[in-house]
Amino acid sequence: MEIEIQLTNRPIAEKISPSSQLDSIGAWLEFRGVVRGEENGEKISALEYEAYPEMAEREIRRLLEEISKENLCLAAKVIHRVGIIPVGETAIYVGVASRHRIEAIALLGEFMDRLKQDVPIWKRRALPANFAGDDVGSLIIPQKKLETPHVVSCKSLDEAIAEIISCCQPMSPVRVSLEESFGRVLRETVCAPEDLPANDRSTRDGYAILADDVAENFQVVDTIHAADWKPRQLQHGEAVRVATGAALPCDGVRVVMQENVERDGGHIRIKKREAGLNLRKRGEDVKAGQPLVPAGACLDAGKLALLATAGYAQPLVSPRLCVIHFTTGDEIVPPDQTPKPGQIRDSNSFLIRGLLQKFSCDLEQSHMPEDFERAKSQIANRKSQIGNADLVLVSGGASVGEKDFTRPLLEWLGLEIVFSQINVRPGRPLIFGVSGSRVAFGLPGNPLSHFVCFHLFVATALAKLIGAEPEKFLRGQLAEKLNDTPCPRETLWPARLDMAGLHPLAWASSGDITCLTETNALVRVPANRGSIDAGTEVEFLTT
Amino acid sequence: MHVLFFAQLKDATGCDSIELALPSLLNGEQLWKMLIGKFPALANHQKNVRLARNWEYADAKTVFADEDEIALIPPVSGG
Repeated sequence: MEIEIQLTNRPIAEKISPSSQLDSIGAWLEFRGVVRGEENGEKISALEYEAYPEMAEREIRRLLEEISKENLCLAAKVIHRVGIIPVGETAIYVGVASRHRIEAIALLGEFMDRLKQDVPIWKRRALPANFAGDDVGSLIIPQKKLETPHVVSCKSLDEAIAEIISCCQPMSPVRVSLEESFGRVLRETVCAPEDLPANDRSTRDGYAILADDVAENFQVVDTIHAADWKPRQLQHGEAVRVATGAALPCDGVRVVMQENVERDGGHIRIKKREAGLNLRKRGEDVKAGQPLVPAGACLDAGKLALLATAGYAQPLVSPRLCVIHFTTGDEIVPPDQTPKPGQIRDSNSFLIRGLLQKFSCDLEQSHMPEDFERAKSQIANRKSQIGNADLVLVSGGASVGEKDFTRPLLEWLGLEIVFSQINVRPGRPLIFGVSGSRVAFGLPGNPLSHFVCFHLFVATALAKLIGAEPEKFLRGQLAEKLNDTPCPRETLWPARLDMAGLHPLAWASSGDITCLTETNALVRVPANRGSIDAGTEVEFLTT
Repeated sequence: MHVLFFAQLKDATGCDSIELALPSLLNGEQLWKMLIGKFPALANHQKNVRLARNWEYADAKTVFADEDEIALIPPVSGG
């Protein structure tokens, strides 16, 4: 069935063309619901309609699909106007297409009956007959806003990330030993102090001879091991025994591998010359002054080996991060305890500990009572220490429920709140605060929200602090269909990435943690998108 | 949890939406208790109002989580 649904606050067009050209259509039936000039016996000039648009659209679609089981509906177009609609104007337009008129008439009747039962659209008020259109504004009763202690600003994913990036400044770098620098971010580009390799070296165990010497028999005049430095100018007819990695005696030589040589005391006979010279030229890897490791690189095993090779014993790197993590919630018990009804085991401590492994940091974790005053007194004697942490994370308590105190707590610790809500599923209540070079996050309590918010936002802030490039969304193909119903919030969908592409994983709510066993990527599902077919290119983040 | 109010429920609560923190998963009855605790005026509407979770009507078995978007749907009158 081809379905088109619109909720609009503009007048509905006088003429609407059928939305389907299917050959099988034998009847197009149209209906317009028009605002009557009286309501409950009173003369009126207009009706004001209100809708819950995301749900209304879904209910209309669901209704159409359901009634089509009885009478096959081939296509449908539904337009409902909301806001103030003057008398005589169309409030709803419905067009249904079927094979025969009987079906279309049945469909339309059934649809309108069900619409009036289930679709979340309301006649909010009737406007009395005696007002002019210009006065409409004065008749609208302003909605009272809930008095909350702070303004809630809901950020989109991109806005939130941009805000985090602009608020976080790289920490001052330090010089540490190579032993201590594993996992840190290099803060200066390290260049080669000399050519690598520093001289021509043999890549074979064999015999070095002049490259242009075509003789068959040679006198062995010396032996050079890998650690030796024995320069000498070879003459025609002379050979030097060389080990793999040995510095060659002079320029203009080639090495013949020992397998192609017959040795007889101090002489050799070359049976066959290989095509290649079997050597690495001086500066072949890198020339003196060329960059070896760029600033911003995370020092892994290979890069450390390179720095060691180049003699950088005290690289300039980011300091270790000091991270303080608080869990909150009176319902949390340690993993080795059996939760009573209403309680759950603490998983977020371990999730955070694990996620932070990627970053070089010192982590301190503790649990806080679910009461602002008690929480304050628990940490009062550590206030300045906490205040000096590079990153403070608070798990749970990020909404505006009565017991939630993350925001006042962070403010008490001297942080300025930048935003407290994001328009992302999972993880709407996310608090981000800054003070100088220190940052703090209040993470929504659920493990999956934790996982998503960490990768999206906390990791971005940490990358910025340590002078690394924050992870970017990549593009890849869905290996399987992603089944979702359109959600007005942008969604980060757990997925498993392998050679075949991205496999979306099943998850029901953000309390869902089982999908985390397989998750190694998060697929970005745009707002209101719904299902995405296999083979579609999507954005994703590796985790 | 994001909770939305429509039509006359906006008048009853004085707002169009609130954020609630759920300590754990709740069933419908527990959620209503929490909402009425916050807005006593909702008690009068409870029997006529349906709950929707993430843009679908809830039923007796529906469980509500902190991440959900909840709407209180008073009797509808579209069309």
